[in-house]
Amino acid sequence: MSRKVHSSISAALVCVVVGYLTSCGNSSSKTVSAVATTMATSGTVQSVTVGMAFAAPLAVKVMSNGSPAGGVSLTFTAPSSGPSGTFTNGMVTETDTTDSNGVATSSVFTANRTAGTYAVTAAAAGSPTLVRFSFTNTNVRTTTYSFSLSGLEAICGSGNYYALAGSVIIDANGNVVAGEQDYNDAFGCTSPEPKGDTISGGTLAVDPSGQGTLTLTTSNTKLGVSGTETLGVQFVNINHALITQFDGSATSSGSMDLQTLPSTLSGGYAFTLSGVDPLYNPVARGGVFSITGNSLSNGVVDVNDVGTVTTGTAFTGAVSTPDSFGRGTITGTGMADTIGYYVVGPEVIRIIDLDSTDSALGSAFGQGTTTFTDASLGSSVFTVDANIEGVEFAVAGMLTVPTAGTFQGVADNDEQGMIYGGSIAGNYSISDAVSAVTYNGYGNLMITPTALGYFTTAGIYMTDPSLNLNDPNNTSGGGGALLLALDPYFAGGTGVVTPQTDTATSSFAGNYAFGAQDYYTGNPGWEFDFVGQGSISGGNLTGTGLVSDPFCFFIFSPGIYSDLPFSGTVTPDPFNPGRYTLTLNVTAAGSLVPFQVVIYQASGGQLFWVDEDTTVTYPNDQIGTDLFSGSLQQVGSLTALPAARRLAVKTHVARNH
Amino acid sequence: MMCSHLTMSTRTIAGLLSSLLFAILVIPLNAQPTRDCSQYYDVRQEVTLSGTVSGVPARPGPGMIMGSHLLLTTVSGPVDTSLGRWGLQGKGSLSLIPGQQVEVTGVMKTLKNKEVFVARIVKVGDKVYTLRNEHGIPLSPQARGHAIEMGQNGGTL
Repeated sequence: MSRKVHSSISAALVCVVVGYLTSCGNSSSKTVSAVATTMATSGTVQSVTVGMAFAAPLAVKVMSNGSPAGGVSLTFTAPSSGPSGTFTNGMVTETDTTDSNGVATSSVFTANRTAGTYAVTAAAAGSPTLVRFSFTNTNVRTTTYSFSLSGLEAICGSGNYYALAGSVIIDANGNVVAGEQDYNDAFGCTSPEPKGDTISGGTLAVDPSGQGTLTLTTSNTKLGVSGTETLGVQFVNINHALITQFDGSATSSGSMDLQTLPSTLSGGYAFTLSGVDPLYNPVARGGVFSITGNSLSNGVVDVNDVGTVTTGTAFTGAVSTPDSFGRGTITGTGMADTIGYYVVGPEVIRIIDLDSTDSALGSAFGQGTTTFTDASLGSSVFTVDANIEGVEFAVAGMLTVPTAGTFQGVADNDEQGMIYGGSIAGNYSISDAVSAVTYNGYGNLMITPTALGYFTTAGIYMTDPSLNLNDPNNTSGGGGALLLALDPYFAGGTGVVTPQTDTATSSFAGNYAFGAQDYYTGNPGWEFDFVGQGSISGGNLTGTGLVSDPFCFFIFSPGIYSDLPFSGTVTPDPFNPGRYTLTLNVTAAGSLVPFQVVIYQASGGQLFWVDEDTTVTYPNDQIGTDLFSGSLQQVGSLTALPAARRLAVKTHVARNH
Repeated sequence: MMCSHLTMSTRTIAGLLSSLLFAILVIPLNAQPTRDCSQYYDVRQEVTLSGTVSGVPARPGPGMIMGSHLLLTTVSGPVDTSLGRWGLQGKGSLSLIPGQQVEVTGVMKTLKNKEVFVARIVKVGDKVYTLRNEHGIPLSPQARGHAIEMGQNGGTL
């Protein structure tokens, strides 16, 4: 067939199928050209990392009789399998209509996660003529992180608790390739279930100290800023970062850890989960359970629900197989209709209550093969943090075990601005029996009343001695337990026990990442958070940090601050090796706040701090006092971080709320 | 918050020990021990004070517990009343001005050698505001709102 005949037939077909193309079939309109042509005008040859969006849309121009043909229907088609991609409709095909210039433009086209070169075609309806686009999905190394954080939101009515957990794939250049997340404030801003939100893009950018931001483009426009969330990040090492929401939409604290998939969940786990109940009161749970296949069994849970304490309730459940992002669900436990989980590794999952009427966040840690007894608890540092909807308090301390079942030590408790502490003593039991059933690693701990204010009782749930609870991919610093506050007044409080292996002051030196969650009295919010890094040399801390202050702690306007100076001098407690005091000076927007901090050293690599102010004069004179709790973690290698590099930039973003 | 340290005669102690032994024998093995000494808010110790609002400080002063406070003048003298974190905040919160007559139900505590009246319920005229639950835990504006929606006591009545 000659080219001329072919063109004539093509034009005729287009005329037949697209009736209004120029004046086909309408003798009163302009004359139809004998030749209709289609040509690519944009995006002909493109290459992008798997999972990423191609930079240019696909555009095709249709000419008829030498003039642009408007109103022509044109379909773009990508391969249905193998290397390919999808349009914004989530499909491999999309139909668009030419405009008055004769141009049809596709929506954003995003590569799937299979590498390779392929063709996307475009054809006018009924036309056999195909326009070809050559695309390549390039395969680069990616890293997947699981993240979780909780705090107080400034959106969705403001002043609500919220929990956020997810999984995100990031390429070597810091491009967010894909991800999933679940957000739940139990106040109308809950991710649509059962699938949660998708993460389709974003960027991880950090400075040489591992401090920076992670932006996440999500499918949920209610969250962050029109669906884009920004997290402040401070990497401790390439597998672990301290994080805070950092976009003014909320403030919170949490962590982000390398995810290992596939991971088979199996064996015993200890867990805590803290949040709000259906009446928006503080509630926390803790206990142990076992997983075999998709079955959760041998569970026992303690609950402190706005002061009503119930211990030793047995439960079972069902565990779904995780998806490709390590996201699964746990149902039938009686703790929530659905608990979502994100795998960090086979022994660590982040858990989040997905019910729209209640919300909570926590972790479950494996127990390994250990059969726990009272002798399983040794010298340790412990912390217990408040729930944002509960009573403000922060507990930290250290203990030794003279004989199995008893302990003594020293601790601090900032309880609503009242500072208690000093020597403590008490007893504990591990692997308690409930109704004649012994639960491995399940126990309780009692501090002699009045030694630590009103804080006296906690549930204790032992974890794998080889597992670092703060940095789960870290092969050192393992062991410990989870704590649940069981005094009615401290409803919602949960904590961590970390083995104390080194109290030498000389070990508390070098570079550290740090973070904390601070509670105060304010309106409409009562929390700010920070992450940062610095060096300890000769007892002097010098560093920089990111501060998320959407509710005006520092000054009378909300702020998101980068590269703020943190400084202070660490003073060892001469009577209690491993305990230090520090006046931590933080200046934001020209306002200096000297936080009075106590630090407990589990080792040179892991320390915990609580703020217990009594004499601070606050720049925002509505603040009576505040308290915070958090950790310091020694910084490891940050080379090969999957992040774009950037210089630290000082910013102060005000946001109305 | 400290336990009372009572001076007792040997005879009294012996009697108490006998009573304690009897109690141990009759208390079911699964009964939970009471820990009044360590309980922050004991609803059984609640009293109701009547007085006049003498001040509503913008922020707690040195040595005062976190949250909102109400300075109350009673027949027994001035009383520092803790309203909790959200007592004066959010929907359904208290609004007070000096000179108002109020009734406050709560527990008198000695915290760090300073007396503070931990308020659970404040009555202003015919309006009743529930600020804390029976464990003394402050109710957030959201919790008050939910309680009202659920028809439970927990917010402005």
